[in-house]
Order: sequence, then C-alpha cells, then structure tokens
Amino acid sequence: MNNSLIKLSKSHLSSKSQILPWAAITESHIHTSAPMCRVVSGKYRITKKRDRPLTYEMANPPHYIAHRKTWNSWNTSSLKDGLRRSETVLEDEFIRRFMTGTWHGLMCSEIIVKRQFNHIRVAAIVRRAISPTKMYFLLGYTEELLSNWLQCPVTLELQTVDSFKDVVFKYI
Amino acid sequence: MYSNIILPKQWSRFTCFCRSLSSIEGQKLPQSSKSSDGISPPPRIPRSPTDILQALAATVGADPTAAHYKYHDDPYLIPLSNFRKRAYALSAEAGRKAAAWIRDEHAEWFTTREWDPPGKMKTPYFNADPIIDAFAPRPIYNDESKVTEEDLKKTIEHALLDDSIKIFQLLGGVEGVTDNNLKLSFLQLLCFYNEKEPDSLEWLEERWFSANTKDRHAATWKLGGLADKIFASLEQKTPEAYCTVIQGMAKHYQAERAYMLCQEAIEHGIPLSTSVFNTLLGCIGFLKEGTALRIETLKQLLAQMEELGLSPNEETLTSCLRSISAWGGGKVLQKMAQQILSEFRQLGIQPGLSAYYYLLCLFCKERGPRIDILSNILTDLENREKLIPKETTDTNFFITAMGICSDHLQDIDMAERLHALLMKDDNYKLVGDAYKESIYYRHFVTVACRHASFERKTQLLDTLVPNVYVPEPSVMEEIIKTLEVAGAGDRLTQAWSQLVIFGIANRTRLVERLLSAMCSCYEFQTNDIKVKIRDAASEILKFGKLTEEDGKNNNNDRRSPQKRLSADAITNIIELCSDVKDKSDPAWDTISEGLQRLKQTEATGVPTKPQVLADLAQKAASMGKLGIAATALQYLAECGFEEASPASVDTLAVILNRPQQEVETMLQQRSDIERALHPSALAVLDAYYMAKTGAPTRDSGSSTSSDSDSESSSDDE
Repeated sequence: MNNSLIKLSKSHLSSKSQILPWAAITESHIHTSAPMCRVVSGKYRITKKRDRPLTYEMANPPHYIAHRKTWNSWNTSSLKDGLRRSETVLEDEFIRRFMTGTWHGLMCSEIIVKRQFNHIRVAAIVRRAISPTKMYFLLGYTEELLSNWLQCPVTLELQTVDSFKDVVFKYI
Repeated sequence: MYSNIILPKQWSRFTCFCRSLSSIEGQKLPQSSKSSDGISPPPRIPRSPTDILQALAATVGADPTAAHYKYHDDPYLIPLSNFRKRAYALSAEAGRKAAAWIRDEHAEWFTTREWDPPGKMKTPYFNADPIIDAFAPRPIYNDESKVTEEDLKKTIEHALLDDSIKIFQLLGGVEGVTDNNLKLSFLQLLCFYNEKEPDSLEWLEERWFSANTKDRHAATWKLGGLADKIFASLEQKTPEAYCTVIQGMAKHYQAERAYMLCQEAIEHGIPLSTSVFNTLLGCIGFLKEGTALRIETLKQLLAQMEELGLSPNEETLTSCLRSISAWGGGKVLQKMAQQILSEFRQLGIQPGLSAYYYLLCLFCKERGPRIDILSNILTDLENREKLIPKETTDTNFFITAMGICSDHLQDIDMAERLHALLMKDDNYKLVGDAYKESIYYRHFVTVACRHASFERKTQLLDTLVPNVYVPEPSVMEEIIKTLEVAGAGDRLTQAWSQLVIFGIANRTRLVERLLSAMCSCYEFQTNDIKVKIRDAASEILKFGKLTEEDGKNNNNDRRSPQKRLSADAITNIIELCSDVKDKSDPAWDTISEGLQRLKQTEATGVPTKPQVLADLAQKAASMGKLGIAATALQYLAECGFEEASPASVDTLAVILNRPQQEVETMLQQRSDIERALHPSALAVLDAYYMAKTGAPTRDSGSSTSSDSDSESSSDDE
C-alpha cells in the first residue's frame, strides 16, 4: 500500500511540473519494507531446559480455536446485533480474576465462562489441596458473591484433580 | 449511511410492536366465534413463568444412583456418609452466608447495577429495571438510622422481625406510629412469630438439617411483651386486632388469656373468625385438666362456633384431633375422634394429612393392640388426585405411617403402598427434613429387611444406599442379618466396604456381627467369593489395628475408649483365613497376627469356639507352619480349654507322622519325644504339658522363639 501511495503521489507530482524539485525528496525519504507477519500473542516460548509445563489449552495456539480447542468465553455478544460487548468482556475478566484470587493457588486450568440466558456458568479445574468441606464453603461463597455483583444466577462447575501435574499436556 | 442502519432497527421494533399488539388482541378474542376459514385455535391456557420448566422436569425422574443435585458432581466432592452429607451441604451454605454478610456490611461495594443493553435503556444511568431485590444489599438498622413508616411497611412485608422491631422503636414506639393499619400489620407479624426472628427462608439447608426440636409444647407467649403493649395501645380495638391477639396467644399456648379475651370479645359483640376458634381448639389441653373436662370444653367451643354462625373447615378438624391425640389414649378418646371425623365427613370436610397423622398417633400406640386404620387411610389418600400440603404437621404423616408399618403392623405390603404414595408426583416434598427422611427410610428398610423377599430387599438397598439414605448402625445390623439368612457372601463382603465408607466400621458390635455372618455362610460360597471373604476378613483385622494406632496417636481427643474386637471375632477371622491350601498364602500372616492379638490379650473375652483353634493347629502343622500351630495350642492351654491336650496330641501325630496311640505312649517319656522333635515344635510339647498339669514345665524362654515360624523347619519334616 505504501508503494502504491508513493507511485500515486509521484504521478500526481510529475503532472505538476512546478513542484518537480520536491520529487527527489519524497522518493528518498519514505522508506518501505516488508511487514513482519509473526504472530506472538497466545503462544508460549520454548524454554532452554524444556521444562515449562503447558496445559492442553495452552499448548494449542489461538488459530486452533474451534479446531482443537474451544473458546474460553461463551456468549452471544459478538454476533450481529449482539448486546453488551464491552460489558461482557469486562465481566468475564472480573470473574476470572475473582476466581483465581478466591481459589488461591488451586486453579489448574483456564476459567471458562459460559453465558446462557440470564445464567452464567463458570467452569474450571481445581487441585484437591483443601478439604471438600472448605471447597464447598468456597463454592457457596463464590457463587453468592458473583451473583450479587453480576445480578444473575451464577453456577460453578468445578472438576478436581490430584495435582497440577494431572493437567500438564506437555513441557516446552 | 447511518440512516440505512437505523431504519431496519426501527422497522423491526415497529413490527415487534405490531406483533405484540396482535398477540394481545389474540388473547382477548373470544374462542366461541368461528373464523371464516373454519379454523378455531384452542383457548389460551394461562401459564405461570415456571410451568415450562416444571413440564420439562416432569419428563425426567430422579436418579437414585447419583448424588443429590445440591452436591457438586465430582468424585472428590460427593458425600457418602451421613456426616459428610450434612457437613458439605452446610458448608456451602456457610459460604453463602459469608457472602451475604459481606454484601450487607459493605453495601458500598455493591452499588453497581448491571446495565441493560443500550437499545433497551430507559434512563441514562440507572436502568436494569426493575431492581432485583434479592441481589441488593439489605439495609442494616441501628440507633442512628433515619427511618420512616415506609421502612416499617417494607420490613413487615418481608417478615424481617428484628428489623421491624428496631424501626418501630426508632419511630417512637407505641406512641410514635400513628397509622393504625400499620400497627395492626405489625401486631400480626409479632403474634405470628411470637416476637422471635423466624428462620430465614433463604437458608434452605439449615432448615433441612436443623433437628426439629423447636416446637416446644409450652406456654411461650411473652406476657407483657411488645404485642400485648401494642394491643393495649389500640384505642379502637377492631375485630382484626382481637383475632390476631387471640390467635397469637393460642398458638403459643397462652391458653387462659386467649380464652378470656375470646369470651370478652363475644360479650362485646365483636365478630371472630373461624381460625380463632381453630387455634383455641388446639390448646384446650392447656386450659383444662382431666379428659372429661377437656372433652366438655371441646364440645362447648364447637357449640359456640355454631351459635356465632361460623362454619368449620379442615383446620377445625385437624385442631380437634390434635387436641384429642395429645390427651393420651383410651377408648373414650378414640371413640370421640371417630365421632368428630364422621360428623365432619357429613359436612363434606375431608381430613388432611395432619388430621390423619393425629389419628394414627391416637390409635396406633406402641404397646397397644394392633389397630389397622392405616389401610383405610391409604386407600383414601391414594384416591385423591393430589396431596396438597396445608400445615407444617403434614410432613409428620409419612414418617409416622412408616413407623407404624414397621413396628406396629409389621406389614411390608402396607409399607410398599405408602412408599409408592410418597413417590407419586411431587409428594416427596412431604417427607419433611433430613431428620425425618432418615427416620422414614430407617423404618422402611427395617421392615423390608424383616418381611420382604430377598430380591426386593436387594433391589431396594441398591437404589437407596448410599445416595438417598445411609443406613445407621442399627439398620446395618438388620441388613447383615438378612444377608446372612440369604447366604449372600458376596454382599457381605460389600457390606464391609460400606461400613468403612459410611464411617461406622469402628462399631465393634457391628463388625463382630458381620464376621459371624461371614463364618456361618462361608462354606456355601463359590471359590472366588471365598477368596473375597478371606480378603475382607484380613482387612477387618488390619483396619482394627490401624484405628488402634490412630487412637494411640491422638489420645486426647478420643471421646470414648476404643472398643476392641472380641476373641470370638478374631477366632472367626482365623477360621475364615485358615481355609487356604497354599502354604505361601498371605492369609497365614493374618492368622499369625490374629493369634498374636489373642495371646497378648488384646481381644476381649475368650473364644467360644476353641475347636477352631484346635483344627487350625493341625492344619498349620500339616503345612509345616509349626510356629502358628504352637501358638494356637499354647493359647488354648493357657486359657485352660480341655481341647488343648487332645489337640496337641493330634498335632504332634501330624508332625511326627505317626498314629495317635504311638504319640501318646511317647508322651509318657518326655525325653524320648523331645529328641524326635524339631526344636521349633517343642512349643507344641510345652502346650501339651501345660494343658496336662496346668503350668508350664519348661522355662518359656525357648518357646518364644517358636513365634516366628521358620521355613527351614518345614523342609526337615
């Protein structure tokens, strides 16, 4: 596009002979190069020791969404005439931060936020590091607080694993 | 360009509007008129918002193999014992409560209101109309709060008793509130709850698991309390006020005052309602002493109702029966109840579940004669289209009826009928709370274990245990008994693992019962089940040891001393485990472990079946396990069983591979036989002499070496 712009301006300039002396300046000073198409976001760099644990979700780069893995947020705000786009994103982020903070050091996976009608379902995998009784306390606490903030029913759908190692898909 | 976008939006809104208009019109259209093309749509059925959900829910039944839906569906989080069920559900609720506390204490963090989508916005800032009160923080009232009568109205509407009392006081008490209607509604609230904050409807689990001990039958009405003051302050005492106060007093058993007020109101010509008399009928027992006087008062009150032109209703019947059932038993009262029932039937009033509950209480006494009124009641209830709960006591019906099926009538068919009725439609909500539910199933499983066919029993146990019901120790014993009778060895081994899971494996009596059951039906089992039973037996021994060690580690917080397995139980384990043909079977370890415990008197009592140990000694000797044989014989000799000496002779005969007579002659001369025996078998000899003379002949130093049986000794034989 840059090239064509210069050509256009050149042809334009050349048609008007009185600003011909400027031509040299424009040509020499607009520098163009090939764009760097490397996508970095959503990918993890390989470590020297190859010891960075990745879950299945982390191991698949974004372009595999809908092929090998699915979305982390499920809602209809991005459809045509979708409503509450920015609010939805913000709320989802809030839910994620609240969950990781409340279930401190227990979350072993990404937090999936699914919205259906007026209902928000939050799914995640947690470690069995605390007793089931405490887990039930946190469950009730999280559901109640989140539903008070988001003003709709919130349900937690948790699965438990013994340790973080159970969700590691590979090391890079 | 922009107009292009906006136009379809508005157009769609317009069409939507048109559609809503037409649909409204469609609702109004009378359905009798036929349209020109002969198509007449059916009349509109009014639906409530949850009707579709209920219809959907009705298509799937409850799954008894899954945990209740209030528990999280994850193996780690599914409760399997009664204690855990309660703990998990209540901790989730505790979390909810903590969150609600934060919401109320820090209301400033919960001011955001979710925005409606921009297209539906009504005001620029606060939308999300209407406000959802359930998500808004509750106001907290203290001495500094500025309150109005509006606040009082609101709190009364939401039945927040403590808050409304606080507001009432802030408003200036009896003098401050001028609105008589407001005062009246406040009085109603106070009278209904007797000035005590009710359990919130919000905390379902707490209500479900609370032990139902609250409805004390005692005069709990607060004399001279706020309700009395407000009633006294009303300058114009309306009939409503009278009704309210009398009902409140009678409900909380302040019978005399209520009765007095009632007579006062009648004298002043103030009209009273039927429910006033209903509550008064319910507390006659607090008014008069003696059956004759009480019956007279009951009749008087009913006559008074007729004088005042009040027609009785279902509640009248219930409260009459309630009073009568509370006065004890006896022919007079039973006859009275039947009379009342038939009279109400003539009036066209059918007894509800509560009325039937009181009837059952009256007729089916624990040690009274067997009276089968339940079958008639069940027939009546089965013929009803729907059981509609009306009073809180309705939930007592099913548990009482099942108790009568189990203890009084001992009739499994009746129990099955009752259970079918409970499972019909959504009658299950009549089961009451967790406590009642477990008692109901306790009765049901007990009667099924005693009287049902074995197939039905197992089917019932498979569906109910453990998700719906976890058997208590007494019921578990019943189950083990039936399994023993049926000779189901496989299920007995399962019963052991269930004991462990339900957390009742440390009940010694239960474990002993299980072991004897296993023993008695062991010989009829197939080989692989025999293996299972042996495994279970050795597990039981190991488990006992584990819990003992556990108990030693934290001695301080043990509430009761750990009971040990009896010697009988250990002999049972030994008997089960000794049935192995292989010398290297791990069962031998269990046997020697069990023998050790017997010898070190870690078990209570002495075995009633010493023959088992005698047989074991022979068997062990034949397999070359001389140590085990010697320990068993020594134990027998120490305990002074007469089996000890013949058993020692037999064992020696096996060891020496000679006939018994020969061994006996050899035993006359001790030195002969000592030479012929391997050192490790000398302990057997000791046992023999101990049994003969009653005291050890040799010093016991060498005999202890025989505890560990050496493999080499068996090679020598």
